[in-house]
Amino acid sequence: MLPILIQQLLNGLSIASVITLIAVGVTLIFGLTGIINFAHGEFLMIGSFVTWLAVQAGTGFVPALVIAILAVALMGLVLERGLFRFTLTRPTNGFIVSLGLIVVLQHVVILFFGPNQKSIPRPLAGVWDVGGVRIASVRVMVILVTIAVVAMTFVMITRSRYGRALRAAVEDRDTAALMGIPVRRYITGVFVLGSALAGLGGALLIALFPVTPFTGGTMVMKGFAVALMGGLGNLTGAVVAGLILGIVEGFSAGYGFSEWTDAYSFGLMILVLLVRPNGLFGGTSGPKMA
Amino acid sequence: MTLLSVRGITTGYGPSIVNRDVSLTLGENEIITILGPNGAGKSTLLRTIVGLVRPRAGSVVMDGEDLTGRTPDVMAKRGLVLVPEGRRIFADMTVAENLRLGAYARRDADGIEADVEVMEGFFPILAAKRQQKGGSLSGGQQQMLAIARGLMARPRVLLLDEPSLGLSPLLVKEIQAIILGIGARFGASVLLVEQNAGLALSVASRGYLMQNGRIVTCGPISELKDMALMRELYLGGATEPAS
Ligand SMILES: Nc1ncnc2c1ncn2[C@@H]1O[C@H](COP(=O)(O)OP(=O)(O)O)[C@@H](O)[C@H]1O
Ligand SMILES: [Mg+2]
Repeated sequence: MLPILIQQLLNGLSIASVITLIAVGVTLIFGLTGIINFAHGEFLMIGSFVTWLAVQAGTGFVPALVIAILAVALMGLVLERGLFRFTLTRPTNGFIVSLGLIVVLQHVVILFFGPNQKSIPRPLAGVWDVGGVRIASVRVMVILVTIAVVAMTFVMITRSRYGRALRAAVEDRDTAALMGIPVRRYITGVFVLGSALAGLGGALLIALFPVTPFTGGTMVMKGFAVALMGGLGNLTGAVVAGLILGIVEGFSAGYGFSEWTDAYSFGLMILVLLVRPNGLFGGTSGPKMA
Repeated sequence: MTLLSVRGITTGYGPSIVNRDVSLTLGENEIITILGPNGAGKSTLLRTIVGLVRPRAGSVVMDGEDLTGRTPDVMAKRGLVLVPEGRRIFADMTVAENLRLGAYARRDADGIEADVEVMEGFFPILAAKRQQKGGSLSGGQQQMLAIARGLMARPRVLLLDEPSLGLSPLLVKEIQAIILGIGARFGASVLLVEQNAGLALSVASRGYLMQNGRIVTCGPISELKDMALMRELYLGGATEPAS
């Protein structure tokens, strides 16, 4: 029983890693811009398709992953400059724009690649046998990459001069601008960073599972659940909630309720939000505009 | 020598126009003031000068360079800095962090550290509270921090929006001494917006009187003090003179 449980835990954590990358992006973007980007899951899905395309074209997985990050970051840049920047003073409009984007992005992908699922060969095929526990190296890779990237993001936000300026802009956008902080450019930067994380998440996801043009929808639901559980706008919260989700999903599958996994995660979210409406770590209500 | 020249500014929010055709000048090493009742449009004018609000007409020229329509971060780089009404301290950040944010437009790390010490010398309370959160300071302390944070940018023009708001007469006297020292210590000119006419008239050499978004009169303080309108609005009124 125990070896299976550990395996399932690892499975849960590897999927939760991808979801955490979504949640971190969603939380960063909301925290600074007030934009709730519902199309974030489609950003991830496009990251998967770009990875697939690059691998088809003959690149290795690592170059494909880098290309996916760059492509989705570029897409984020274009969409922020071309669309979301016009909705900054009216977050509700941004919210509606993002709903529209879901449909547009899905259909663009279907137009070019068809509705069928795509997969790539496992970038790491190795399976380690540790005392009867079979550990797929690809899952370990996904978890480690996520930990490294989230840690880097965290240090950047909390320790750097740039991060201090971002926190100032979250607290009071106008006054931050008076300090000489180019707030507009930093908002674009955060949107691009969040998009890059989605691109990375997409690459890691297709390393684990086949992906369809509709994968973004289910993934972003859990991404939002994690971001809300942690407290929307709270980076630490997103990470801890992501970890909790991974453990819950791992255990529920480990105990043979895999078909109930989704119900467990959303049940958990509802429970958390009932007890702590602002999430585990307290969220923000987005940047103050006044 | 004119340092800042504001010409024919018309500005407002959305469909409503607040200021119409406002012009003023500020010279090197000068302290001037804009007086006017609540809602006259003084803050809106200052916010427009530093680029937080885009003017619909008119221009902002600093040292011969047309800066009209530039964003506040560019203005700060050019030495045009606003200490906003209500202080707007970053409550979740320490006093030290607030000070360093004030210097965000600067790149000289050594100069910034040196200036932090200069500010802690000029405003001793900030040295004592260095590691405390901005939100934990009293109103007067926050005002000191707001002015120091503004000076951290090494401005050539410092715009002060109602620094005496909500402060006790004793603290207003302190603010008065600080404003008078800014020119000598930091080489900045000051444009002071006040409702406390006593304070404004005691530090400025020239003044503008604003009503309903327009400048209705201007001149040297000695002349303004004699005007019937000023007497009616301020000097006979309830405002407490600072000295
Ligand atoms: N952010 C804003 N949006 C819309 N109207 C505003 C805003 N800020 C101020 N106003 C209006 O502009 C007018 C002038 O306000 P303000 O510039 O703050 O005057 P003062 O600083 O002289 O008291 C007032 O009628 C006020 O209601
Ligand atoms: Mg005002």
